[in-house]
Amino acid sequence: MVDLDPEQLDRYSRHVIMDDVGPSGQAALLDASVLVVGAGGLGSPVLQYLAAAGIGRLGIVDDDAVERSNLQRQVLHTDDDVGRPKVDSASEFVADLNPDVTVDAYETRLTRDNADELIADYDLVVDASDNFGTRYLVNDACTLAGTPVSHGAIYRFEGQVTTFSGEGPCYRCLFPSAPPEGAVPDCATAGVLGVLPGTIGCFQATEVVKWFLDEGESLDGRLLVYDASEMSVDEVPIAPNPDCPVCGSEPVLSSVTEAAYDGRCSLSESADD
Amino acid sequence: MHWRLFATLAETAGEDRVSVDDAETVGEALDALLSAHPALESEVLDDDGSLVDHIRLLHDGDDPFAAGDGLDTPVSPGDELALFPPVSGG
Repeated sequence: MVDLDPEQLDRYSRHVIMDDVGPSGQAALLDASVLVVGAGGLGSPVLQYLAAAGIGRLGIVDDDAVERSNLQRQVLHTDDDVGRPKVDSASEFVADLNPDVTVDAYETRLTRDNADELIADYDLVVDASDNFGTRYLVNDACTLAGTPVSHGAIYRFEGQVTTFSGEGPCYRCLFPSAPPEGAVPDCATAGVLGVLPGTIGCFQATEVVKWFLDEGESLDGRLLVYDASEMSVDEVPIAPNPDCPVCGSEPVLSSVTEAAYDGRCSLSESADD
Repeated sequence: MHWRLFATLAETAGEDRVSVDDAETVGEALDALLSAHPALESEVLDDDGSLVDHIRLLHDGDDPFAAGDGLDTPVSPGDELALFPPVSGG
């Protein structure tokens, strides 16, 4: 366990004086490593708050460059960053905010071929991606590895957020396969309220910090559904599905390299893709 | 009783709350919802008429497929039913 130096005792003093965090809780955060998949709308607040909280090592996976249309919500990046790789502006933001944090930047897409290796190096993964293919890939790779996942997703005024422990239930227990292509449009097609990923990303960062502090009630087993228009929150229970192809009693998936992460991302042979 | 519809389903229906009457079961309430909004049918039911597996249905906050008798679960006036599709934006 890390001993806090005088500068850290100052930087994290508002954590350290809390009984529920204290020096040992802060040391646990400094000792933690988190892989954030996506440095966009959700990834921005997640990276900002995890860096500020002193998560000791942050991995950032994204293969996109900053576009001007991102800046309405992706608050990690600035106007001067347009055209630059998102992992570069994200890494610089984290380095400027907190020298305690080691940043690993991966300018790549998460794929079947690199997912296992990337995930293996971290204690927890944050799914801040923007498409169903990556979401099912993150779920399957992390569930097979037993790695916890903070899941967040947004659509116009609505957001969904939960935490998977890595032991099941998993995202496929909730939604076994993706909707048909085009049935649930992405942000580029549908638009999104700029502040919505800020809210959902902050829920994710909250869950991650609580996870390492081992504090409070996690969202494990329930999907929080937030409606920014109504300012309402609903909960969908997530029960373990004994027939789940990834975390059920007779799983059919043993490696993400066996599956296809396009179309419906289905693992059942009978489903029509 | 009434249905609450989320994300794309509310947009297809043009409203996010739909009242239905005279339903004795979750399945009858679903039929009543789809008669009121036929455009929902292709999003909610698959080719053999069962609920598509990527949409979660709740009855008063519980999943009737896990906690009850699925579409045969009895419903009462005043109950709330809800349909949640997944979303993917980030």
